[in-house]
Amino acid sequence: MRSRLATALCTATTLVAVLGACSANTGGSSTVDTGRQQTGVIATDPKDSWGPAPEVPGARAGGTFTIIRETPLSHLDPQRTYSFAGLMAAPLFARSLTTWKDDGQGNLVLVGDLAETPGSNVEDDCTVWEFKIKDGVRFEDGRPVTAKEIAYGIARSFDPDLTGGPTYLQEWLADTPQYDTAWDFAANRTALPPGLTTPDDRTLRFEFARPRCDLPFAASLPSTAPLPADRDTGINLGHAPFSSGPYKVTRFQAGVEIVLERNEHWDPATDPVRHQYPDRFVWSFGPSTDTAANRVIADNGADQAALSWDFVPASLVSRVAGDAALRSRTILSPTPTANHLVINNQRVTDLRVRQALNYAIDREGLVKVLGGPHVAAPNTTLMPPATIGHRAYDAYPAGPNGDPDRARELLGGQTPELVLGAADSSVEQQLATQLKGNLERAGFKITMRAIPDDAKLDEIKKRDNPWDLYLSSWAADWPSGAAILPVLYDGRGIKVAGNTNESYFDDPAISAEFDRILALPPAAQAPQWAGLDERIMREHAPVVPLYVDVAYLVHGSKVGGVFVSSVFGYPCLIDAHVKP
Amino acid sequence: MDGTLRTGTGDPIPAGRTVGRSPGRLAWMRLRRDRTALVSAAVLVLFVLVALAAPLIEAAYGIGPHDQFQRRLDGFGMPLGHAGGVSGEHFFGLEPGLGRDIFIRLVYGLRTSFFVACTAAVLSTLIGAALGGLAGYLGGWLDAVVSWLTDLTLAMPFLIVALALTPTLALRFYGQRDEVPPSFGVGVLIAIFAVFGWTSTARLVRGQVIALREREFVAAARASGAGLGHLLVRQLLPNTWAPILVSFSFAVPQFVTGEAALSFIGVGLTEPTPSFGRMIYQSLDYLQTDPAFVLFPGGTLVALVFAFNLFGDALRDALDPRSAR
Amino acid sequence: MLRFLLKRALGAVLTLFTVSVLTFGMFFALPRDPVSGMCPKNCDPQRLERVRQELGLRDPLVDQYANYLKGIVAGRDLGGAQGGRCDAPCLGWSYVNNEAVTDTLARVLPVTVSIVVPAAIGWLLLGVGLGMVSALRPGSWWDRAAIGFSLTGASVPLYVVGAVLLLVFVYTLRWLPVPAYTPLATDPLRWAGGLVLAWCSLAFLYSAIYARLFRAQLLETLSEDFVRTARAKGLSNTRVYGKHALRAAIAPVVTVAGLDVGAALGGTVITETTFGLPGLGRAAVDAVRAGDLPMIMATVLVAAVFVVLANLLVDLLYAAIDPRVRLG
Repeated sequence: MRSRLATALCTATTLVAVLGACSANTGGSSTVDTGRQQTGVIATDPKDSWGPAPEVPGARAGGTFTIIRETPLSHLDPQRTYSFAGLMAAPLFARSLTTWKDDGQGNLVLVGDLAETPGSNVEDDCTVWEFKIKDGVRFEDGRPVTAKEIAYGIARSFDPDLTGGPTYLQEWLADTPQYDTAWDFAANRTALPPGLTTPDDRTLRFEFARPRCDLPFAASLPSTAPLPADRDTGINLGHAPFSSGPYKVTRFQAGVEIVLERNEHWDPATDPVRHQYPDRFVWSFGPSTDTAANRVIADNGADQAALSWDFVPASLVSRVAGDAALRSRTILSPTPTANHLVINNQRVTDLRVRQALNYAIDREGLVKVLGGPHVAAPNTTLMPPATIGHRAYDAYPAGPNGDPDRARELLGGQTPELVLGAADSSVEQQLATQLKGNLERAGFKITMRAIPDDAKLDEIKKRDNPWDLYLSSWAADWPSGAAILPVLYDGRGIKVAGNTNESYFDDPAISAEFDRILALPPAAQAPQWAGLDERIMREHAPVVPLYVDVAYLVHGSKVGGVFVSSVFGYPCLIDAHVKP
Repeated sequence: MDGTLRTGTGDPIPAGRTVGRSPGRLAWMRLRRDRTALVSAAVLVLFVLVALAAPLIEAAYGIGPHDQFQRRLDGFGMPLGHAGGVSGEHFFGLEPGLGRDIFIRLVYGLRTSFFVACTAAVLSTLIGAALGGLAGYLGGWLDAVVSWLTDLTLAMPFLIVALALTPTLALRFYGQRDEVPPSFGVGVLIAIFAVFGWTSTARLVRGQVIALREREFVAAARASGAGLGHLLVRQLLPNTWAPILVSFSFAVPQFVTGEAALSFIGVGLTEPTPSFGRMIYQSLDYLQTDPAFVLFPGGTLVALVFAFNLFGDALRDALDPRSAR
Repeated sequence: MLRFLLKRALGAVLTLFTVSVLTFGMFFALPRDPVSGMCPKNCDPQRLERVRQELGLRDPLVDQYANYLKGIVAGRDLGGAQGGRCDAPCLGWSYVNNEAVTDTLARVLPVTVSIVVPAAIGWLLLGVGLGMVSALRPGSWWDRAAIGFSLTGASVPLYVVGAVLLLVFVYTLRWLPVPAYTPLATDPLRWAGGLVLAWCSLAFLYSAIYARLFRAQLLETLSEDFVRTARAKGLSNTRVYGKHALRAAIAPVVTVAGLDVGAALGGTVITETTFGLPGLGRAAVDAVRAGDLPMIMATVLVAAVFVVLANLLVDLLYAAIDPRVRLG
């Protein structure tokens, strides 16, 4: 009997000993240039919009490039694409009206993609726009892309059955958020939506009821991808999009794998940004973030040419950052995703309480919970630093660890009881626990409520949601204040559900400012947005800016040409290649 | 614990021990002679004491389960020093990120885990014994219904139901703003285990009762006009406690790992309730960067379950002399 | 025999029906609105309402359930947003996976079967082997080692075993490829290589139960009269063990194994999550998280079918192996 126990204990101890190897941690970390300035211009030289794109140094054609990602891409329908992964995958097989020339360092130039220029403002008042379509762009079956197919692509984005996807163009053309009732796609398949015309095969014309100065930017989203009407398979297009880019989808195994192979009808001379280096791209779905990172670090076989799409998880950051051998296989870059502790302004109406919330947060501790400076960078502004014209300021200076005394002073002895709604995912529960600690230290009483992870986004977008505080993030569709501040803080558009204004902030004076700045030419807007950003925070403190995401990617030893998009903060694949 | 909840091993305990020679006494003597049983029992008692004395331990240790020590973490949020920040102040080091003390969280996690597992085991054993006893003794349509209920319970995928039900229930009972007390999450967990865990006990007890019901002493009691309650509780229960006890002793460790399994798929107990399962689940990602964080909660869980399994084995040996060496 | 079969089949159908009703009712109580996932980013109440109408979510629950059953038997039309006509057995349209539920099932089921079947063979062989070793020489070192090993297996959670195996054999030593599913027909070697860790951890976990069960059964049968008689008749040890004792002792093991395999085929959630294998269990968990009702219904039903079938099969097998059992 005793030996049975002894044997058992022995087995257990061995297991324990295997795990127990350790050495002293004496600290250490490095810094990330998260404050870098973003620049963005619209190209004026038509030559900028033509290809071929300059060769990537050291790039070579051939090989299979793998992208490993936990969450599958459920479809590749350009008109329905709005997820980051979808937006970054789209350029491989779908060309849009305009596109960004991006050096991965924050320097952006908007150029024409299908169009010869990034649009011409016909009346100079942003109400009429024309795009001349390039000659020589072809679909995967060799037929030419004309203005007709682009217009059809935009028309089909009105179809309510095709869920997802941006809605700028539809709303602007129909001049109402209820665009699909204003123009019924299913009943008018051969017609075009109001305001959209194709005077000839090479011209696409938009006429808006109101000035829409951001059209060239909005046209860079894949919803302007072309599609011949006879190739429209409705909802099934998502599994077999009709390519106009350098690659075409040859295999779509939902939830498992997507394979893209060369499209021989793509002509580099017409394309200002894309390349066609690897023989094929493989999106491989399923492995958890940890598994993906571990696989790529192990650098075995096909994983040598693989990129782990998801950022290095917090638990592995110290290992990856501490391994000098991995330095050449990691990419570290700021992103434009800004995370806020959103205050529900309908519920928390006392400005002093909102200001006290701003003073109470320990951003340094928060960054530690997230995994350090390779994961997040503290932020005190509404717009992320990666916005054109961004200006740094701190309206409620509280030092890196927060100023609970100043917060208490503002509260003047009262103890506000607030409910913090947090997704039930592991990371967000940890964040919420940290914030609760910070706030209770400053005199608040915080109740944490778990919201099912997948439902949370929908729930906090409901106007009458029951929570006082919640975590949320925003990444603009293009790096301009116009795609951030009015979207998040214009109170006139608040509806019952599906709000982007999650703080339900509504101030007439601020809304008037939005209108004023939006009517300015894009180049003149940037400094105005930066000024308004600070004014909103100082006068109203509608949210607590917390941090911006930092992209920290690891890839196999044969991966080259990957950079982090300055627009979306996720890996860009157009220069990707496989090293020999 | 994978995909399905199993309690006990479903193997029938042979019936028909000679009545009248106090098998209980014999079993007790055999158990006392078994050193494995004694050692595992001692370990279990120690765990129980730690769980019960958690507030006292907190007072003596001077650190609470929610206190944070982020200054002792490096820039990546990893604990400074040896083995995940083990020191005289923090016996088992600190959690990465939030910087909470692992030792005191383990003590409280043990308390939660023990409470959930033991209560659920008591409940599931009670349900199983009652249903199995009634079905076995009365037979007929009741037996058919219980058998069908057993099949139905086994056919419902346990993890999926738990996953769907937990958030729903919280919403039904507490709305969207009220604080959900930790006891609620614990209660839901216990209920789920009890509802899905009774089947094997029911089967065992049913088999035992069928074997016993035609025996002389039962017939004698019946003839003398004893009621159903008396027959079940006074005559049959004393002769079925062996399988009941054994299935109880195996149910407890299975519920302990069950709680951990639920945390692994993202249900189970939420912050701020200290939970073994969630702690282990979170720590697994740190296997490479902070092995001590995996080692302490994982080691404790394995020791606890191991002790329970050893004790359960010894208990079965003691109760069933034929399988002993 | 026929009567027994009929009775069991009837019970099985009733069980499946009840499971489907329960699931249907339960998941309608989910806090997650199944429609919100189908609505574009700027969803407004009218649009939501229209989607609800199109999906039939405004019909009485009974009608919705009847439609669901009708789809399984005869197929039905789901409308443009859900891929149109859906042939029998139609289990609905998953808007999360963007395909018919049957297509998803056809993809994830082979993965789970590929995990479970070889693993079950492994855990049976390992469990019976360990149990036999310890039962033949009770009290010996062999016995102690076997029982110690199996107890460890029963005490360490599968995901811990999995994480350690991955770290050691895949990431550090690189002896094994990263767990992944390759269809058996495509490349048997890659199929096995990608799943071997899952098999090993499952076998380690389950074999403990079988080892202890088989050991106890074997010890019990060895002490029974017919074995003693056989010995007294002068039969060799090998014949006694091989012909009589083993056969009698294996019957309960088969019962438990059948039920375990049935339950495991319904989805090995933890194994699939630990090793990142896209099987039925993962699909079910993802479906619940996303509030994907048709997918939830389908996974629960498939799991229930496996359990019920396994139950039926076990009853039959039991009769075939153990001559003492008569069906009635």
